[in-house]
Amino acid sequence: MITAGIDVGIENIKVVVLRDGTVIASGTARSGGAGRGKAIEQTWTDTLKAAGISATDITKVVATGQGKGDVPFANDSITEPLADARVALFLYPAARSVVDVGADQIRVVSLDEHGAITEVVLNQKCAAGIGTFLRTVARRLGYTLDEMSRIGGSSDNRVVVNDACCVFAELDAINLLHDGVAWQDIARAIHRAMAVRINSVLSDKVRPAKDTTVLIGGVARNPTLIAALEERSGINFMIPDQPEFAGALGAALDAAA
Amino acid sequence: MGIQRWEIRPLEVWAKAKEMRAKWQQSIDDAEKEHVLLAQGNCNWAVGFPALRVIEDNPVGAMMGYRSSQFSRECRAAGEILGWGREICGYQLNCWGAMYLGYQMDGSKFPMRDMVVPFPDPCDQHTKRGQAPMDYSNIPRWQGDSPLYTGPHDPERDATMIENKVGTTLDIIADIERIYGQIFDDEKFIESINLAHRVREYAAEVCLSMQHIPAPLSQKDLYSFYTLGGLTKTDPEETVELWRMLRDEVKWRVDNNIAAVGTERYRWIEAHPPPWYFLRYYRYMEKYGAICIGSQYSHMMGGPFEFKEDGSWGPRVPLNSWGERPIKTREDALRAMFGDDARGHNFKVDEVIRPYAICEFAKAYKADGAIMPLWRGGVGCTVTRKEQGLRLSEIGVRVLHYEGSQPGDRTDQDETRLLDMLDVWMESQGLRKLED
Repeated sequence: MITAGIDVGIENIKVVVLRDGTVIASGTARSGGAGRGKAIEQTWTDTLKAAGISATDITKVVATGQGKGDVPFANDSITEPLADARVALFLYPAARSVVDVGADQIRVVSLDEHGAITEVVLNQKCAAGIGTFLRTVARRLGYTLDEMSRIGGSSDNRVVVNDACCVFAELDAINLLHDGVAWQDIARAIHRAMAVRINSVLSDKVRPAKDTTVLIGGVARNPTLIAALEERSGINFMIPDQPEFAGALGAALDAAA
Repeated sequence: MGIQRWEIRPLEVWAKAKEMRAKWQQSIDDAEKEHVLLAQGNCNWAVGFPALRVIEDNPVGAMMGYRSSQFSRECRAAGEILGWGREICGYQLNCWGAMYLGYQMDGSKFPMRDMVVPFPDPCDQHTKRGQAPMDYSNIPRWQGDSPLYTGPHDPERDATMIENKVGTTLDIIADIERIYGQIFDDEKFIESINLAHRVREYAAEVCLSMQHIPAPLSQKDLYSFYTLGGLTKTDPEETVELWRMLRDEVKWRVDNNIAAVGTERYRWIEAHPPPWYFLRYYRYMEKYGAICIGSQYSHMMGGPFEFKEDGSWGPRVPLNSWGERPIKTREDALRAMFGDDARGHNFKVDEVIRPYAICEFAKAYKADGAIMPLWRGGVGCTVTRKEQGLRLSEIGVRVLHYEGSQPGDRTDQDETRLLDMLDVWMESQGLRKLED
């Protein structure tokens, strides 16, 4: 059976095609803002082409993500925590928590021993701690996300920027630059500030366990952030190879269920 | 498996409630014309004065938020221009703003207050409500204490606190008699307190009926009725009659399994409503077969409640026990009005009790979940809200927090995000929409 999942996020669209539990193709593209409909269609078409199949070969398509209602060809949609739970248990059967840090949201999903969701915690409505925060500061500093992560990772200095507010953090970064603080130290401070905010969501209700927590979402590709978050939270995260595709994979798994 | 569907039917007593509410509003608008004094505040004893009516910022501020987002925004802007911050309760900023603008939502002249009577309350904002009218038009203001203590329940301390309130109120009544030359009618006051107790008994029965599955009323019904006799001081005898009619109809609905939500399969409690313009949030939850069976706030008219030794949930003061303590004097009536316990008498009073009290409430009404907003304004509202969430989680009640300004203020309300959060919350508990 071939199923597909499509995760329409604020920043990116991700598609995963699954045949009998194995990923046969995946594709991603920018969400396209006002042109999101076209971007969804294009990503879908490109991914099917890469898989060497047509839409009629697919038994079921499930959408997830903030834009899940904008996928006209989806047979069903699920909310993001369900997709998170599906993928975490598929990749790591022992998982008891999933932390998904995307462009616009931090989610913590707690699972019981049977895989049922027992709690979901979302971040408060604030830019600090989400992927968009990193992108904003990177843009201000003139880096790409990958560059800022790499540069930050090379620092062992512990200068501090505001961890409560994205705007203040950005201003702090600029002030530090004016004070002659090294770029890499500022980049590291930014990642640490973000880790503080993510950790506050982890502490909100049910604290994720040290060794059974999965980290997914685009931010989980950032090694400097992961290091800062593991240091701050004391959690050794389990991270899949392509954490940004986790939501789409979870939706594809749901379609196959 | 098919979905259980209950019969639904509109409330017949609703028309009477609307009529009474309109009459109350007219009595406020006509106060000046009828040479009746208008007091800012909320007190049951005003009925003892022949020419004194009371008006509170709630439900007026809530109604403004519900009916006209534009007007309530103009009102809040008028307040902000004069320096009031956005942490001020939306209800009172709506009302203060209308006072500053000089007109009401329908364009009619704002009924200026002649005095401020106390509304002592643990919520800092309630206590502050009289400040702006007093400063704006140089009218007298009386203020009372809202005593609190922490630690174990102490009846001796309670009694002292009650006597403090009684003494303060006696002084205020005497002041008003002296200053305005109105003679306080003790007989009328005593009668109104006796009638108020009958309202409480009927209201308690209505609240207890919400334990029934399917719930006979919705949270919107509860909010609407509790203002009549609670926040708006309508004719005491008419108020008793309204609550009797409601009790009878609700009893009939319970006996015949008439539901507020025909597909009830999930019951939740809430700490507060969303900003009033956004009541469709209740309808949205109905798509999941979910019903809000109330809040401690909307059950306030019948309270306080407690678990009895036999495990049942009931009023702390037994129903029909009023005649055991006859009210003969003004002091007796005031004592009865303030209740028996200073502490824990009202869910709002005690920050230590709050998180545990809401757990009892959730258990009593078989709640599956709780929606607990975090407000930026009306600071007292949100005190202990996160602690309440944690305690509820511990007893297996799933909790959703969302953010906003305050029910009277839509400024920080994010509709899309809230609806998304409701979907996430419901689906993560294994529920999907029954319809769309």
